[in-house]
Amino acid sequence: MNIPFRTPLLAGVLAAALALSAGCSGDKDTPGPSGSAGGKVELTFWDWDPNMDKIVALWNNAHPDIHVTVSNPAGGDQLVAKMITAHQAKNGPDIAKVEYQSLPALVSNGVVRDITEYTKQAVTNFDAATLSATTFEGKVYGIPQDVAPLMLFYRTDIFQQYGLAVPATWEQYAQEAATLHQKAPNVSMTNFDAADPGWFTGLVQQAGADWWTASGTTWKVDINGQASKKVAGYWEGLVKNGTVLKNPSFSPQWNKQMNDGSIATWISGAWAPAQLGGIAPETKGKWAAAPLPAWTAGDKTTGIWGGSAVTVTADSAHPAQAAQFVSWLNADDTAVAAQVENINVYPASTSGRSLPILQKPPAFLPNQPDFYTVVKSVAPSARSFSIWGPNVTVTFRGYTDAFGAALQNGGSFGAALDTIQESTTADMKKLGFKVG
Amino acid sequence: MRTPPTRRRRRSALPYFLVLPATLLFALFIVAPGAYAVLLSLQRRKVSGGLLGAGSEVVWAGLDNYRQVLADRELLSSVLRMLAVGAVTIPVTIGLALLFALLLDTARARFTRAARLLIFLPYAVPGVIASLLWGFMYLPATSPIGGDHVDYFGPTGVYGSVANIVVWGAVGFNTVVIYTALRALPPEIYEAARLDGSSELQIALRIKVPLVLPAITMCTLFTVLASAQLFNEPNTLKPLSNAISSTWVPLMKVYTDAFVTSDIYSAAATSVVLAVVALLVSFAAARVVQARIAGDER
Amino acid sequence: MSAATVAPAPPRTRPGPAPQRPGRRGVALLPTAALVLGAVYCIVPTLWILIAATKSPAHLFSTATYLPSLDDGLVRNIRELSAYHGGIFWRWMANSFLYACVGGVLASAISAAAGYALAKYEFAGRKALFNVILAGVLLPQIVLAIPQYLLLSHVGLTDSYAGVILPQLFNPYGIYLCRIYAAAAVDDSLLEAGRIDGAGELRLFRSVGLRLMVPGLITVFLLQFIVIWNNFLLPFVMIADDSKFPLTVGLYSLLRHGAAEASLYSLVITGTLLSVLPVIALFLSLQRYWNIDLVTGAVR
Repeated sequence: MNIPFRTPLLAGVLAAALALSAGCSGDKDTPGPSGSAGGKVELTFWDWDPNMDKIVALWNNAHPDIHVTVSNPAGGDQLVAKMITAHQAKNGPDIAKVEYQSLPALVSNGVVRDITEYTKQAVTNFDAATLSATTFEGKVYGIPQDVAPLMLFYRTDIFQQYGLAVPATWEQYAQEAATLHQKAPNVSMTNFDAADPGWFTGLVQQAGADWWTASGTTWKVDINGQASKKVAGYWEGLVKNGTVLKNPSFSPQWNKQMNDGSIATWISGAWAPAQLGGIAPETKGKWAAAPLPAWTAGDKTTGIWGGSAVTVTADSAHPAQAAQFVSWLNADDTAVAAQVENINVYPASTSGRSLPILQKPPAFLPNQPDFYTVVKSVAPSARSFSIWGPNVTVTFRGYTDAFGAALQNGGSFGAALDTIQESTTADMKKLGFKVG
Repeated sequence: MRTPPTRRRRRSALPYFLVLPATLLFALFIVAPGAYAVLLSLQRRKVSGGLLGAGSEVVWAGLDNYRQVLADRELLSSVLRMLAVGAVTIPVTIGLALLFALLLDTARARFTRAARLLIFLPYAVPGVIASLLWGFMYLPATSPIGGDHVDYFGPTGVYGSVANIVVWGAVGFNTVVIYTALRALPPEIYEAARLDGSSELQIALRIKVPLVLPAITMCTLFTVLASAQLFNEPNTLKPLSNAISSTWVPLMKVYTDAFVTSDIYSAAATSVVLAVVALLVSFAAARVVQARIAGDER
Repeated sequence: MSAATVAPAPPRTRPGPAPQRPGRRGVALLPTAALVLGAVYCIVPTLWILIAATKSPAHLFSTATYLPSLDDGLVRNIRELSAYHGGIFWRWMANSFLYACVGGVLASAISAAAGYALAKYEFAGRKALFNVILAGVLLPQIVLAIPQYLLLSHVGLTDSYAGVILPQLFNPYGIYLCRIYAAAAVDDSLLEAGRIDGAGELRLFRSVGLRLMVPGLITVFLLQFIVIWNNFLLPFVMIADDSKFPLTVGLYSLLRHGAAEASLYSLVITGTLLSVLPVIALFLSLQRYWNIDLVTGAVR
């Protein structure tokens, strides 16, 4: 072990020293030219996309007077809390990527800025449904980056091996799950993830639930309504009869199951092909995407998991320039094409969805040349809640705790929804929202 | 006791000068943030204006946050879970550390140098990373230690799993503390016992253990304090299993309030309550310990 | 110096008591076996990192757990980690060194000064100060982190190296150990002799007190170094610029990516392995100093 080890380590230490000194001198350089150029604007951008620096470099090359620096302080859910704390200390970034479900909470905390006046041109490149996720009471609080309709990803090899049909309805999905369980007890249709609520909210959206609705300034919270209970009951059945696993997704356990073929389908957003390469690298070319199974045959409605907007913060000293960058990033075809190529987003902008780059399948799904055609066909019928609540973090925490406990102790999924309803409503009342 | 009369005569400003940096840092980074936390615990966020309440402001809450904390049954459960884990980790950590230290000090044991390093090694692994590693070890799909037969995340198993990570991370440090205390004992004191025909075991139990009791007491105090601050291990295991909720131990509740749902006011109130309880308990414990150590120093 | 090797004093082979140990003359089997077991317990997860770090992402979850991959997976993982975001991992490593070295040295110096004063002088408020300092151990970092962040933001020190180092300079354990150590290692009669010779108090501290405390201070430094090296929460709260992350926060961020990127387990595992090595090296190189009794301060 010793000999092959030493050289890279030594090289690494040297590289670190070099990188550090280079980094330090770089830090010194940055303020220099900005000072001399006088009018140059410096903007910071919090984002967790792995290759966002490449897209920002395009902007910086074309705009010598507005320089954007990307930083990745934390992942999506943690970034929200970090932004709120930074706002209290008045040292947040200028620009930040925000998942749709967190945007109302950030508006409520006064963290993000109304950019209606700066984005009149940019918003024309989005359809009304997409824009509704970033527009509240007529004010635009962010430019949508991507949309992620919920779809069914399935292992073509496993489906073929056990003679399963791609299910068009949830009833068929349950039947195929039972067949699979019978033929191959070690392979499960999927797993019920209690750690990340995103897929479950997508499923209840498809079933027609509206967890939050607003009339005037009064909120209605309906997390344990009929549609949600139907979805919960359906999955409770699958978990109880053993055709669906109980362990959380995005864990080493799950990675292994996804890799070794213990899991046959994944209900996920359109971004799944980009993720699968990291989750299950050995399954390249074995997955295909289909529209989400329907509750009634022929209904094309689906839900949404994830998707983000890019926002300008209230603390930014240069809102006009920041909004200019945000508009370019998500509405300009060059920028959007670069994002599709480097970050694998499915664009939110109307013209972005017709980009030539979307003609070829994602790298991980070479077997499905019509992948983006399928996405494009389901995207218009994807529905979200009419609005996300102002305290989604509390709701999501409730989901993880209540469903985790139900799975662990064999409790009822419907009762879990009641618990979430209760904690969400209590928190909103405590904060002073009008809840009807 | 150790105050020679000469010292008092010499009035020097030096001691004040020497404790100044520590006192200043203490005031700035412990007292001030502590006081600030108390202030936050008396406030809350109140929204007004429009659907999203974008005109939200911070208002005085009086003792509302405290009332909520004290009425929260889940907090009590989390304290009980913390105590349950502590009931395992404290005796096991100290017992193993004492055992390893005595073994390392046994004259004819072999591999002591390597063993000493290896036993200390876990201390060099950050808690977050250590928990993740053990998480890999526990999960059925990746477990090299029979996770597909034993449910490490079962209703009771999870306590053992968390306790094991805590013990693993803490044994090394405590072993070194007790071991260094053992090495400091003059070897001559064993000779008489050896001449009497006492076995190594008897020497260890009758001579060594009583003499290193102050070290053991100090280790116990540190371990008790650490177990009251149990956080990293369950918080890192949480996403791997359904067994651990966001309020599994008290500090996870504080963390989730402060860093996930951004309610720093509730988090501050919970913290203040926990700190006061900890202060009272430790004050009592520290008196006992200090009396012991002082007694030994004399 | 290497007291550990000198310690088993020579007069052990005297005619003395033979009855107890006839057969197992050389090695005590049971204690050795128990030690080996203990060492195995401590090494198993670490061994797992070592083996897992040799596997490519594709093999990480698909090959037998305790079977290392021999096709230069480790080199490839290290290369990939070094290439990640323009080598930011090595930047994190350098940052961790900076935080832990600067913080460790300063905290040791501050603890030494305070500990020496508390042990060697009688002054107003001595006892109260000591008790209050010890009570500082009771406040968990999670409680203090956000108030510390908000307070430091008033002076513009968040998201800076100083923001991570300053709150870690006060170390109750360090002061406690230094007090005990100064009491035991610095002989009052030496100080008295110095005073009779007319030496000032400050000079006594520097030339007598500090010098005698050096071995103990190395222990305090080592402990503080590890505490800062392993600290996650404070830098996590304080730092937003990922080029100022220490290793703990950096590796954690690799683990918790958003929806756009899967967790980079192989890189995290390789990074973990590399991050443990410097601490082991430090421990090995300072091990020979590690021979003071942390409780009474006696040195051997």
